[in-house]
Amino acid sequence: MATQMQTDDPTPQVSAGSTKDWPGRWSHINKILDRRGPFCDPSFTPGHNEEILLSQCKILVIGAGGLGCEILKNLALSGFRDIEVIDMDTIDVSNLNRQFLFRPSDVGSPKAKVAAEFVMKRVAGVKVSYYHGKIQDKDDDYYLGFHMIICGLDSVEARRWMNATLVNIAQDDPEKIRVLIDGGTEGFKGQARVIIPTVTSCYECSLEMFNKPTTFPICTTANTPRLPEHCIEWASVLQWPKVRGDEKMDTDDPTHIQWIYETALSKAKEFNISGVTYSLTQGVVKNIIPAIASTNAVIAAACCNEAFKIITTSQPFLNNYMMYTGNEGVYTHTFEYEKKPDCPVCGNQTLPLEVRKDITVEDFIELLQEKPDIQLKKPSLSTSTNEKIYWQSPPFFEERTRPNLTKELSSLVNSGEDIIITDSSLPFSLKVRISYA
Amino acid sequence: MLVDKKTQKYDRQLRLWQAEGQLALENSKVCLINGTATGCEIIKDLVLPGIGSFTVVDGKLVDGADAGITFFLDADKIGSSRAQAVTELLQELNEDVKGFHLAEDPVTIIETRPEYFLQFTIVIATEIPENSLLKLAEILWIAKIPLVVVRSVGFIGYFRIIVPEHTVVETHPDNINDLRLDKPFPALQQFADTFDFDSMDPTDHGHIPYVVILLKYLNQWKREHGGNLPRTYSERDEYKSIISRGKRCSDEENFDEALANVWKACMPSRVPREIEEILNDATCENITADSSNFWIIARAIRDFVANEGQGLLPLAGTVPDMKAYTTGYVALQSAYHQQARQDISVIRSRVNDILNSIGRTADSIHDDEIDSFCKNAAHIKVIRYRSLQEEYISDPKKVELEQWLQDPQDNIIHYVLLRAVDRFYATHLHHPDAATFFSEDDSEGLGEAAKSEFESLKAQVHSLLEAWQISNPPEHLDDYIHEICRAGGSELPNIASLIGGLVSQEVIKLITHQYVTVNNTCIFDGVRSVSSTYVL
Repeated sequence: MATQMQTDDPTPQVSAGSTKDWPGRWSHINKILDRRGPFCDPSFTPGHNEEILLSQCKILVIGAGGLGCEILKNLALSGFRDIEVIDMDTIDVSNLNRQFLFRPSDVGSPKAKVAAEFVMKRVAGVKVSYYHGKIQDKDDDYYLGFHMIICGLDSVEARRWMNATLVNIAQDDPEKIRVLIDGGTEGFKGQARVIIPTVTSCYECSLEMFNKPTTFPICTTANTPRLPEHCIEWASVLQWPKVRGDEKMDTDDPTHIQWIYETALSKAKEFNISGVTYSLTQGVVKNIIPAIASTNAVIAAACCNEAFKIITTSQPFLNNYMMYTGNEGVYTHTFEYEKKPDCPVCGNQTLPLEVRKDITVEDFIELLQEKPDIQLKKPSLSTSTNEKIYWQSPPFFEERTRPNLTKELSSLVNSGEDIIITDSSLPFSLKVRISYA
Repeated sequence: MLVDKKTQKYDRQLRLWQAEGQLALENSKVCLINGTATGCEIIKDLVLPGIGSFTVVDGKLVDGADAGITFFLDADKIGSSRAQAVTELLQELNEDVKGFHLAEDPVTIIETRPEYFLQFTIVIATEIPENSLLKLAEILWIAKIPLVVVRSVGFIGYFRIIVPEHTVVETHPDNINDLRLDKPFPALQQFADTFDFDSMDPTDHGHIPYVVILLKYLNQWKREHGGNLPRTYSERDEYKSIISRGKRCSDEENFDEALANVWKACMPSRVPREIEEILNDATCENITADSSNFWIIARAIRDFVANEGQGLLPLAGTVPDMKAYTTGYVALQSAYHQQARQDISVIRSRVNDILNSIGRTADSIHDDEIDSFCKNAAHIKVIRYRSLQEEYISDPKKVELEQWLQDPQDNIIHYVLLRAVDRFYATHLHHPDAATFFSEDDSEGLGEAAKSEFESLKAQVHSLLEAWQISNPPEHLDDYIHEICRAGGSELPNIASLIGGLVSQEVIKLITHQYVTVNNTCIFDGVRSVSSTYVL
């Protein structure tokens, strides 16, 4: 059915002014913004949102990939006029099946730039600034300059950094709370959530929900491989440095993938293992996560819908988590993810941890890497009196503390004492209170 | 073996539906009725993964409102054909996809030459009046062409899938568990017998595959318990402790894996009930020259179960990863694989016999299709949808509707409202569209015109409820009426995009016959961010 839109004048009326509006342009959205509804926030004032909230709100989009492209489109069409996007990547051919702001001729160009320019070209009057680089390049003041931040990232590490940064900023001053809306997808599954730093649970509180990528023990891949993945891991982790020496592996270089594929294939033949293919090799080496346009559209729209509701107060917003599964029918689970009292980012910051009496420092580090609620890549450890147990860097400290790796942890830290754990990829340190079983 | 451009471009989705799914997509012709914002979002998410072609049928001219909410329009297109304008910009998304448009009123086509729609693989309909929708649904139903009806009003989105029958072999279950430990086939038992646990050195003992561990102790259990499996909780515990006693040291990983997988040994192998229903279906019984490959293979499997299979489905032939030496694991894998091949070859010849009996050649069903069917035999799906005619006219789900409506949090209320809006439209030729809800602080109040919109819509809701013999009006009904009057038939870009994502996903499943589709209605409430599905 055609909606009843009175367009008195069918000819375009694009004014040269800054808003570049035309008759009827916002008529769909304005029905919502000009009228009160029974579910909207009492603070909602009909008729004031379009100009005040939407045009004066600065919003930051992190990631210009599968989610980012969708988010930018949705925000621009919803009336947000001042948007900035950050992304450190350049466009790859394999992005084109879903990142719809990019064309084959854009391959190799920065995602943030192409996406921003495309949205500005298509949606009149919207300003999209961009930064082609890392989120870590920006300081607290930069992030404080936005009213809201929407994340469409594919890496757990970047999300942890962004989350911890926003929680830190908000820690002592409620004025500095910046709402973080986070989306993530994997194949037919995804999630959208609203994080109000220090108020709701944060990303770190729910870390254990996100599986870390599977890794295979080195001895299995070398001596008793069973799966094609084992052969590929062996070829890329052990054989590459052994045969190719110092040459840096570039997972985007097809000749490198080809070499790993052939090496893995010959190992597989030797062991009678089937299933090593070029595609699987690429998948394992690059840790490829399947991705489609549909899921990205669902999750990005869910995120932007929350942003729109929060900024306009036109409806209540999500408290605070929506999980989505699309492989078997359509299923969502909407719930409040509760704050974790001992969350290392937003909680009281000391995590009790019971370990074996005879655990070595080395095994303890491995435990920190494996434990689903910690998942650190390269943790460095110190005692609460600031004595180094093991430091990953700089090399001088690494060398000096390396002998500790084989020592028992209990010879360095008593039961009931704290260990301070830092990781260069994270803007916070983690305190763990040790007890021995 | 450098990969071609197309494989590179589609890599991230080929990992979900493989080359076969992609081929089905590339051979598909999708029709969109009306180039609404929601419709364009659906097509966007189908053009990107590479359908064969799309056709937009739309008689409207672009107006300022369309250009405001549709990414595939801009102000320059105001006044031009909406079908043509959106087709141009949608086609830009993927050079492999052909875009067509027909700038004609779809309602007129449905009335005068509905056979036009029979050329498509699937039809997606947005914004068609109820009468025309029922007509379209009927003609597509007879032709067995899937129809997806889509609505997006304010914060509410809706879609409904309609097709007489949809079959799926590749449902992509998270796990396939088919180890047959309770009924080991000869090669499996022979393989297990090669492990003499007691005489092994500690390293070898630590590399016995857990399947062999489970089997050894299960056989022992069965001998001591009259051939029965451990059934109760305490019996399973006892079985577990027998396994634990076999450990050489406390941290033998393979024994720990066996303990974690004890349930796989305690579940009797059988044909799952849902699969039994499919195999006993009349369509499976009455194979004719018109039967689809799905039903022909299903029939062969049914006959296999009754004969060679001795009550069991063909073996899936997959083995999970487990701690083991390479040789042991590979030998175990090949024991399962070979048994599976043996079952497949029996089914292949049964398929050939059936094909022969209905005058089709053996090569009309490819080996790959049979392999895949056998591997997924315990997970296949047949969904028989209800027709729109049944839902709307001959057999509405009165009892269920009444039940669902008792829960004030249930999304079903939006279904009632959307249906009422359709009825409202039929008489008023516009959507209910007015500010009807006010607070004390608001300067204006409810005017006569707004009041009449509200009351007319409410009357439609009541007439629907009456037709369904529901006497108690749902709680908070007035609030939902206020909200849909407020929305005034508007499409919000976010909801359009979200519904576009959901519908495109379902269309991909329908075209590829992979993964499991919604049966039959899905409603998303963007106020509470909650979705629900219903069989209506």
